[in-house]
Formats: sequence, structure tokens, C-alpha cells
Amino acid sequence: MTRQPEIRHRLSVGLSLLFAVVLACLLSASLVAREPEPDPAAGGGLMLRGKGVEEAMPAMRLGTDISAKISGQTARVTVTQAFRNTSDTWMEATYLYPLPEDGAVDSLRMVVGQRIFIGKIKTREEARETYEKAKAEGRKAGLVEQARANMFRNTIANVGPGETVLVQIEFQAPVRQLGGDYALRLPLVVGPRYVPPHTLSDGKAVADAQDVTAPLAHPKLGNGLNPVTITVELAPGFQPEGITSPYHKIMVQKMAGNSRMVTLAKGETPANRDFELRWSAPGKAPAFALFKQRFNGLDYVMAALTPPSAGPVGNVPPREMIFVIDNSGSMGGESIRAAKASLLYALGTLRPQDRFNIIRFDDTMTVLFEEAVPATPDQVDFAKRYTQGLDADGGTEMLPALEAALSDRRPHDATAIRQVIFLTDGNLSNEREMMEVLNSSLGRSRVFMVGIGSAPNNYLMNRMAETGRGTYTNISHDSEVDAEMRKLLDRLSAPVASDLKVSVDGTNVEFAPRVLPDLYAGEPLVLLARSKELKGKITVSGTLGGKAWSQTLRLQDASSSDAVARLWANRRIADLEAQRWANEIDDSVADAAIEELGLDFHIVTRRTSLIAEDDTPSRPEGATLTREELPLLLPAGWDFDALFNNQGVHDAKAAAEGQAELEQAMELPDTATGFVALLLRGLALLGLGFGSLAVLRRRRGKRA
Amino acid sequence: MSALALRLPQVGGRASWRALLPRLFALLLVVAGLVQFGQGLWIPVKAQVAQVLLDRSFSASMDAGAPLKPWPWADMQPVARITATRLDVSDVVLSGASGQAMAFGPTEVLDNGSVRILAAHRDTHFRFMRDLRVGDELVLQGINGVKHRYRVTHFQTVRWDGFAYPVSPDRELLALATCYPFDAVEPGPLRRVAWAELVE
Repeated sequence: MTRQPEIRHRLSVGLSLLFAVVLACLLSASLVAREPEPDPAAGGGLMLRGKGVEEAMPAMRLGTDISAKISGQTARVTVTQAFRNTSDTWMEATYLYPLPEDGAVDSLRMVVGQRIFIGKIKTREEARETYEKAKAEGRKAGLVEQARANMFRNTIANVGPGETVLVQIEFQAPVRQLGGDYALRLPLVVGPRYVPPHTLSDGKAVADAQDVTAPLAHPKLGNGLNPVTITVELAPGFQPEGITSPYHKIMVQKMAGNSRMVTLAKGETPANRDFELRWSAPGKAPAFALFKQRFNGLDYVMAALTPPSAGPVGNVPPREMIFVIDNSGSMGGESIRAAKASLLYALGTLRPQDRFNIIRFDDTMTVLFEEAVPATPDQVDFAKRYTQGLDADGGTEMLPALEAALSDRRPHDATAIRQVIFLTDGNLSNEREMMEVLNSSLGRSRVFMVGIGSAPNNYLMNRMAETGRGTYTNISHDSEVDAEMRKLLDRLSAPVASDLKVSVDGTNVEFAPRVLPDLYAGEPLVLLARSKELKGKITVSGTLGGKAWSQTLRLQDASSSDAVARLWANRRIADLEAQRWANEIDDSVADAAIEELGLDFHIVTRRTSLIAEDDTPSRPEGATLTREELPLLLPAGWDFDALFNNQGVHDAKAAAEGQAELEQAMELPDTATGFVALLLRGLALLGLGFGSLAVLRRRRGKRA
Repeated sequence: MSALALRLPQVGGRASWRALLPRLFALLLVVAGLVQFGQGLWIPVKAQVAQVLLDRSFSASMDAGAPLKPWPWADMQPVARITATRLDVSDVVLSGASGQAMAFGPTEVLDNGSVRILAAHRDTHFRFMRDLRVGDELVLQGINGVKHRYRVTHFQTVRWDGFAYPVSPDRELLALATCYPFDAVEPGPLRRVAWAELVE
């Protein structure tokens, strides 16, 4: 019996251990449950819900007709939007649409039946007020506002049941020239923009985000929404050759003289990708073009001249190339394939003496190498494998990627050229932040934009390329990758015309752009100027491949064009924006100057809008007005799922509402008493207690 | 329990302590179990009983036209009565979102004129939320007697710190919030929110 106390001792130790374990479990269980892990994605404060996806056909149907007249270096474009109310209620409709970012909208007509109302230019607030007043009084009104230089919004009030109202705007745009090739690009849809949450700092920022976003038509609604017809009258002043449209099938008709009439082969097209028309000049490209206009007592002139191509350089000095690739959700589908193919192509052209790095971003960012590495076969192979593995997903937080790309370890190294190449669609709303960073930290880097996809943000691309002293190339389709990338990389290694200066003998002239760009092979310098009286000669000088170069144009050779003054005003506005981004002028100064230009030249700017109103009411008193924002088609080649997994819409109801809403975050209280857990724990403890007592008792019973 | 306690071994010294220890632990377990069980039982009982008292004070408040305290030492007042018509459930809603008040009834955590948010425990007053469906009618009656009718439009599952309400909705909204999942035993980070729109 000597072993008895031993056993009992062990038993007691065991039981107390068990008790301690049970107690510890209970305590820790409740601790864990009360302290949920912080959710890194959860933000406080204000949030913006996307405007979501429209799954039903809108009550207001829209058809657009675009008619462009190209004469020489400029295009006059008329856009007619027919709003047809298919419902039996009175409607107000708003439609977000893109225009070329260098276009100047100067005319608005609203057509109701036989009556035409001519639009007037007013300051943004005044125009808004006029519109709201007409709307409240039941009168028809049409309003054209600018959301971005390449993004406009038409709003139209009091369209009766079954009624159709036409809104017609006109704008002037320059023709793009590269070597002997010319192009006019007409964007047809605004790609869904990513609004970085940190930019939603106040009510004004939220209103701006509302302005640049629209609900998206669900793919199941098909491509029948918002059809567009396009007619281009091409009179370039020479016999045009090789007239093509890379993204749409066209029909070309010969007209009198050198003119051509271009229409869509299918009659109409869904508004889901940019339209581009290209043509070229026969033989040698003209070295310059010069146009002038007298407007309100001042002389305006536009000059386009191309520096001669300076034969290929024997040895391209070693380069540091930073590739930045966007793999956000908006790149899903064709775009990411094109971006990856472009990057792989560029990686294949690196030489061992070059250094390189890759930065990829969505709402997160990865910098492949800590710093740029020599392009040895091993490193290049590694980078290629990395590129092949990229998937498109998440938001478009481009700012950190830009900052990382511009961070230069050797800012004063003159032996190597530093080139940053962006592959993105630029579909974001914080253009201003991007431009501010680019302005302040460009250093010796040069920024080259490769716009990917069927509806890229050309405004951001062009402005970044200009400020970054690089170029902009668009790749709308995988099939263009090789040709366009080869052209871009050739341009990158060819000599650059730099240190450009312009002067006019005799008179004092304001030139735009204010900072002359660097010109890559074949690129023209487009100058706009105004003065009290323009005469004498314009001289442009600079260095080309290390040698001095200059060219002189006689102003008396200029031909007349009534587009020049407005193009000058528009270019001047771009300069004011650039000065604002560079913090050279205050916001208020820039706004005031832009407003003045808008009013003087009768053009729509961020500060001025066009408004047309009927003077008699048409909506009967008491009839309610229903507001609708027209949904936009998903740009061609975009992947709906990749976009909506992560950009904006998380919640089906928010999507169905089709309205962006301002929300206030709130923490929800703890709402579980957990009494069932208490009951269960109580029962468990009771069971354990009674169980061990029973065991102890049986043991005693046996001994006795 | 007394019967168990009487059977202590009759041996003295160290040995007697050794004999005593296991039994003492077993007894402690039993006591702890009883306490927990009692606490657990007290919660739903308190929730039920409080509603009876609150019901009376809500009626009295309606008569008086001003909120009255349900019992003298209460630090909250009845402000409304929420009814889920189809489920035939009705609770008196209290002001203030303290855990204290929530033991007795649903509490109003927000009323900004256009959005009202009520919160209650998933295992007591808002247990009915697991049976709530889109289209159900919710009636909120204030102490002024006016009944507001809402229709459930959608549900939402969010983290406790990931919730947001619209600042200026087109129609007045009512949200009921409780913990989720409904049959979880321990409290967790997820919340279930039912959204309802005012019906004119």
C-alpha cells in the first residue's frame, strides 16, 4: 500500500494541470475573439462608391454622329448627340464622353424639333446656375462642361416622353504628324477611371471624382448602346496616300481635287474604342507648315517644322532603362498581353553594357531589383520570366511607381542616358498629382509613355511625355506591339534635337509651348504664337546629334486658317496647367487666366462651360423629372471581371444603384452576448468536475 | 454539493492534504461551471424580462409624450419600438449604444435625420435577423406614436471597422446591425447589416 499516496499525488497534479489548461483555454479563447486582427484594406473617413454597373437598358438612348473636316494641319469636328427619351416620364440625362485633349470646343447647338438654341459661353458656376434654373422652370437646357482636357460632360434637362433632343458641339483639333505620316485620333469612350482613395480628401475632391466617372453598361447589354457614325472629309492639301484606320473598317471615296470622303464600312460602330485615321504625304514630307489668322485685333500663327533626320549614330552610349508596367485591373484582357509583349520585346533589345530595372504596379508595387542591374543574359532571362508571370488585378496607384522610377542613384552621371518607359492605360483620376511629381523630380531621366489599350488616357500620356521630355506611343492591340516598339526603341537610340530656341526678328512674341520639347527622330515642333503684328522671320535653332542646327520660316509665306486662334488659346491653357503643376503659379491665378481665355475665345475649359436654353417651359407643372446618367460601354479588349474584382464595386447593391455615393465610415459595436458559449463552458466545467468527483469516489469505494 | 463536501478523508498531515487536493479541484470545477452556466442563463432571462419592463415604460412614455426611464436607476430611455411584421417580432429600442443598454434591448447607434442605425445582440433581440428577407416590412414607432414603415432592400456583411453609411441617401434609410455568423459561439469581427428604405 505504499504506492497509494504516490498515485494519489500524481492524480492531484494531473487534475490541477487539467484545470489550469481548461482555464487557460477559456481565457485565451475570449481574448482572441475580442481582438480581431486589423484589416489592412479598411480605411476610415470618407469613401467613394463607384457608380457601378448598369444591368438594365437606360431609359434615355443616345446615338452619336461625328463629322470631321480635315483641311491641311487642322480638323474641324462636329459631334451630334441625339438623346431619345424612350420612357413615359420627363427626363434629365448626363453623358460623359472623351474628345482629343488638344481639341477646343467652341460651339453648342441644341435642336428641339424645328427650333435651334445657340449655346453661350459662361463661367462654370454661372452656366450651372442658368442650367439649374431652366431645369427647375421646366425649360429645356443643354450644358457642356469640361471634366478633364480630354473628357467632357453633356447634361440635358426636360426631355419629354418619347421626345428626341439633339445636342451638337463643334471643336477644332490639330492633326498629328510624324515624319510624312499624319493621323487624327477621335476617342469614343472614357475608360473607367481609378480614383485613388487618398485623393478623396474633401467634398470638392469627391465632386471631381464624380465628374470623371460614369456607370458602366454590363456586357450582357451588348454593344448596341451609344452607337456612333463617323464621316471624315479629308482635304490635306496634297494627294493623300495609304489612308487607313487601324481599329475600324472604313470606306474611302475619291472626291473633287485631292479630297477624300471616309466613312465606316459598317455604317456605325459601338462607342468602345478610339477611332484613328492615318494617311501619308507622297514623296518627301514637307519640311514645314505655316498658318496664320487675325482674330480680335491680334495676329496668331501656327508653325510645324521637322528637324532633318541626322543619320544613325554608330555607337549608342550605355543606357539605364527603367520599365514601369501597369498590371492593374483596368489592364485585364488584351491590354496586359500587349503590355507584357511590349516589355518582353524591349528586354530583348538590351545590351550587356546597359543597365535596367522593372517596376510593376497595381494598388501595390514591386521593384524587381534593388537598383538597376547590368543587362547580363541571366538578369534579362530572370526579368523575362518575371514579366511572363504578371496578371492584371487591383487598383491603379501609379504615383508610387512614378516616384520609384524617378528615384535616381546616380543623378549626375553624364555617361549613361536614363530612360523611363511607362506601359499603362493611364486610367486614373489623379493626373495632377502625377504631373506635380514628374515636374519636381525628373532630374536627368527622360520619360517615354507607351499607352496600352483601346481607350487610354491620352491627356495624361501626352502631358507626361512632354514634361518628361520623351515621347508618347500608343499600342492599341497585340498585333501592333512589334512594329510600334521597334519604332519607339529606334527613336530612343537616334539623336535628339534638343536645346531648342525660337525667335522672331523685330517683334515681341508670346510662344506656346512655353518650354520647347526635345524632338525625337521625325517628330515635328508645333509652335503657336500671337502678337500685335506678326512679320519678318521665325528662327528655330538647337543642337541635333551634337551639331548646331537652325531653320528659318518667313511669316509672309503663311496661309490663312480660321483655326489658329483657338488652337493657340487651347495650347496656352495647357501651358497654364503645366505652370500650375510646376508650382510656378497659384491655383487662383491659373484658374483666372484660364477663365479669361475661355470667355475671350468662346471655348469650353475647366473654368468655362457652354449653355443653351429654351425660353419657354415645356415640362408641365407638377410632372416629375427623372435623372439618368448614361452608362458607358466597356472599352474593347477589357476584361470585365478583372476590372470589377477589385476596382471600385464590391457590393452588388451599390452596383445596381448606379449612383456614386459619399459615405461615412462608422465602427459597429460588439453585438454578441455569447451566452450560449457561457452555457456550454459552464456545462463543460460541471461535467469535468462531476466526472472527476465520480472517479475519486469510485477509487475510495474500492479501497474501503 | 453539501453531500460531496462531507465525505472528506479522515487522515491527518500531509497525506490528508494530498487526498484533499484532487477533490478540491473537482469541486472548484463544479463551482466554476455553475457560475458560468448561471451567467449564461442570466443573459437571455435579463433580455426577456427587461423587454417586459421596457414595454410598459414605452407605453407610459407614449402617453406622457416624453421618454421615461424604465426603472429608477436606468441610464437609458426607450426611444422607439421596432417591429418585423412578417416575423411577428417586436422590441423596444433604447437610446445610447453602451454595452449596458444593449443587454436590455436594441440600441440606436445613429440617427442623423436621413439614416438610422440600430444594433442589438445576434443571440437575443436581433436573433430574428437570420430569418429576415428582402422585401420584409420593418416598422419603427417613435414615442410620439408615429409609425415609419421601411422595406428591407439588401443585406451586407462587413467587418466591424469596415462599415460605412451613405451621407445623403435618396430616401431615408434604416439599418439593423448585429454580429455574424449567427450561429457562431464566440464573438467575431464580422457584422451583418440589413438595409431598409422608407416606404412613403
